[in-house]
Amino acid sequence: MKMADKSESSTNSDTPTNQDELILAQQRKIQQEISDTIPLVGPLDQISSLESEYSTDTIYLAKIKDLSSKYKSIRRTRPDGNCFFRAFGYAYIEKLLDDKEQFSLFYDLVEKSKNSLVALGFPQFTVEDFYDTFMEVLKRINDIDDASDAKKELHNLFNEQGYSDYMVVYLRLLTSGQLQKEQIFYSFFIDGERTVADFCHQEVEPMYKESDHIHIMGACSVLLTGVRVVYMDRGGNTSVTEHNIPQDRLTPDVYLLYRPGHYDILYL
Amino acid sequence: MAGLSPSERRLQKELMSLMKEPPPGVVVDVDLAEQNILQWIIQMEGVSGTLYEGEQFQLQFKFSRKYPFDSPEVTFIGANIPVHPHVYSNGHICLSILTDDWSPALSVQSVCLSIVSMLSSCKEKKRPPDNAFYVKTCNKNPKKTKWWYHDDSV
Repeated sequence: MKMADKSESSTNSDTPTNQDELILAQQRKIQQEISDTIPLVGPLDQISSLESEYSTDTIYLAKIKDLSSKYKSIRRTRPDGNCFFRAFGYAYIEKLLDDKEQFSLFYDLVEKSKNSLVALGFPQFTVEDFYDTFMEVLKRINDIDDASDAKKELHNLFNEQGYSDYMVVYLRLLTSGQLQKEQIFYSFFIDGERTVADFCHQEVEPMYKESDHIHIMGACSVLLTGVRVVYMDRGGNTSVTEHNIPQDRLTPDVYLLYRPGHYDILYL
Repeated sequence: MAGLSPSERRLQKELMSLMKEPPPGVVVDVDLAEQNILQWIIQMEGVSGTLYEGEQFQLQFKFSRKYPFDSPEVTFIGANIPVHPHVYSNGHICLSILTDDWSPALSVQSVCLSIVSMLSSCKEKKRPPDNAFYVKTCNKNPKKTKWWYHDDSV
């Protein structure tokens, strides 16, 4: 827990005009615009649809070309700081729907996870809400026999804030639990003097906090899966860079495109 | 509990649990909360052996329809606002879990525990250094302040 003194922004202002309120109002306006225009999880688009975002940027255009030689399509997620967890959860469950056996292993794993979280010290009482919703979503899509209908239902549920955000919270809690369970290992990935528990309380459990390599490692490790992150930025050469997490897993279940600050889903 | 919104359902659950197993020295006004589930008053006792021993405080919790995704708005109210380096004389509290570090897995109970622990670890009763200016210029809602957290020690 951190406690503190007041922001300097208002102490520096000469008039009683409240700068804080202006800044916060501006932030809310930007967030509102994003949520009005970008769905939580979008439809499948062609990779070339990225070109319109970078019409004059030759470095990005070359990289999009490289990307489209490796991947067929992209599914965008809303850039609200939850994009990694939302993209990861969606893409992994979508992939599992093609394999009933894998899906039921995953189902069992998640079913047992609540007790592990409670054993790690998470309050049963709040964890339960998110766990129940997560299980409800898994049950609802599991009850649909036809895989493509199940995927439609998954898409609908992930676009309903009431379900989607609960799924994100539970994935955040599972990830936090994993980092704390293996805290000696993960402490090497945290800068500064923060403990793994502090890091989890400040950067993993709260909504809207962006995810880094360490979040992806924790999420993959607790759900026994692998992610390939495809990095696309303005750095030097003309090809995108790919990383498997965990490193030794060469056939990932989930492919994500990372552009600085944001994750979308990729399809082979 | 059909017909309740998710935030109301969650708050009902929290109210029941706080009634049944309140943290030591914490009492929720159940009648008030049942009249309006979005606004609670909680009585808090200063822990014995600390600077606040024997004192009584009142906390007000206000919840939005987006709770628990939005943090509750928590302030001290009433005649006795604790004199503490992170509590302004208008009752506003500077505590990171009430804004930046809020998580939907936290609860009224965990907020109460954090506030008890914040008070209990205090070594000198004094107001924040910018108290006079802040109280004059701030919004009524402490969540409209951009807090600057830097001091872990008090």
